[in-house]
Amino acid sequence: MTSSVEALTSLLATARGNRPQSMANREAEDVLNITLAVLVELAVANDRIDRLERMVADLRGEPVEELRDLRYEGEIAQQRQEATDALLTRALRIMIDPRAQS
Amino acid sequence: MRVRDLQHAVLPRVTSEERSRQEAVVSLRRLLNTRVRPQNIDAYSAEGLPAFVEANGRQPQSPDEVQEAFLMSPRYRRWSAANRAAQEMIWVSVGEPTYRDLDRMTQAAADLIDAPQKLGSLTLDPDYDPSPEVADLDIHLQPGGYGMDRGEHDVVAGALYECGGNVFSFGQGIGRGDSKASVIIKLLESDYEGFVPGKMLDMGCSAGAASAAYAAHWPDAEVHAIDIGAGMLRYAHARAESLGVAVHFHQMDASALTFEDDSFDLVVTHNVLHEIGADKRRAMLREALRVVRPGGVVIHQDVDIRRPPSLIHQVERDWDTHFNGEAHWATYATADLIADMHAAGFPREAIVEHDLAAIHGANRWYAISGKKPG
Repeated sequence: MTSSVEALTSLLATARGNRPQSMANREAEDVLNITLAVLVELAVANDRIDRLERMVADLRGEPVEELRDLRYEGEIAQQRQEATDALLTRALRIMIDPRAQS
Repeated sequence: MRVRDLQHAVLPRVTSEERSRQEAVVSLRRLLNTRVRPQNIDAYSAEGLPAFVEANGRQPQSPDEVQEAFLMSPRYRRWSAANRAAQEMIWVSVGEPTYRDLDRMTQAAADLIDAPQKLGSLTLDPDYDPSPEVADLDIHLQPGGYGMDRGEHDVVAGALYECGGNVFSFGQGIGRGDSKASVIIKLLESDYEGFVPGKMLDMGCSAGAASAAYAAHWPDAEVHAIDIGAGMLRYAHARAESLGVAVHFHQMDASALTFEDDSFDLVVTHNVLHEIGADKRRAMLREALRVVRPGGVVIHQDVDIRRPPSLIHQVERDWDTHFNGEAHWATYATADLIADMHAAGFPREAIVEHDLAAIHGANRWYAISGKKPG
C-alpha cells in the first residue's frame, strides 16, 4: 500500500506542460490555489465531523438535529469564544502583524 | 448499462475522506460553472472591453484581441485562475486514491487480462509510438496524458481518465445517468430505424466506458475499440472483463487503421474530434468511411461548443485551449465538418448534423453522421 504523500508525489511527477497565469500577479494566483485547496480540505473535515455527529446521535438514541442544537453557556461558551478568537487571529495574522511590506 | 459511477474490479477503492474530497471538487466546479462562469460575458463588457479600448483606442479586431480584452477583466481573471485550480484539483482528488491503491488495481487488471477464459481481447502494438499530437499533451490537464504507459500491466492512464472524467462531468452538470453510448443508440433508433450492428468499432475509446455499454446493449454484436495508449487500453480491457462484456481492444491510430475495407456495420467516435488537429481529423474521417461497409453508418459525437452566439462567446468557450490543455478545442469548434465528411467520401445528402439531448441532465451533445452509399 502506497502512502497518500507518495501517491500525490507520484501523480505530480507525471504532470507536464506549463501553468498559464490568469491573474495579474502570480503570487496572488498561487495563494488563490492554496486557499481553494484548503477550502476543499475544510469540506472534507466537515464531512468527517458530520459522520461523527450522526454516530454519536445514533449512540445517544436522539435525532442528529438535537445533538447539533446543543448550546453552551457560561464557562464552556467562554472557552469556545476564546478558541474562535484564536483561530481568527491565526488566520488573519497578516492583517494584525506589525511588520510592513518592503 | 450505466457508464458513470459504476463499480468494477479495477476502479480505485476510495476512502470516505477521498470520496469527500472528490465531492467537494465536484461542488466547487459546479459553483464555478453555474454561478461564476455565466458572469464572464458581463465581465468582458463591463471591464475587459473598456480597458482594451482605453489601451488601444479601438475595439478588439480578432479572437486573439478579444482574448486579450477578456484578460483585462479582473473578474474574468479571477474565474479563470479558480477554474484552472479546480481542474488541477480534479486530478489530485482521483490521482491520490489511484496511486495509493495501485498495487491492488494492477494485480486485479493482470488477473483479468491474463485469465484463460476471456470474453474479449487486448491487442497491443509495441512498435506503435502513440500519436505525439495527442500523447505529448496533458489533455484537460490529466497528468501523463492519454498515452502514458508505465510498463507491463500499468493501468494508471485509464483509471485517471475514468475517475477524473466522472468528477469533471458531475461538476459540469452532466447527470450520473448520462451515457454518450445511450445518446448514440437513441439517435440510431430514431434516425436509422431498424439498424442493429453486427460488428462495430469505437475509435478513441479511452477507458472503454462507451465500448462496454455498446457491448452490453448489443450482446450479439462484435464490438471492437481502439485507442493510442497501452495504459488506457489495459484498463479498458480489464474493466470490460470485470463488467462481463466482450470488447476487443486494439492499440491503433484512428487516422491509420489496420482493419480491412468494409469491416464494420457501425463506426463511432466519442469526444475525439476536439482532441485532434485538422489533418488527423480528415484522415480519421476517411478511415472511418473506408472500414464501414456499404449501407453502414459512421457517427462522430462530441461536445456542444460549435454554435456560439457571438465571437465573444466563442472566445469565452475557448478558455480550454489556453488554460486546460485542449490544444484543438477551437480547431474543432470552428471546423467545417460537413465539408470534411464530404471530402472523406460521403455524399452530401448522406451527412447529417445532430443536436442531441443528454440521457440524464441538461447537457447537450453534438454529432455528425453519415451513411455509406451502397
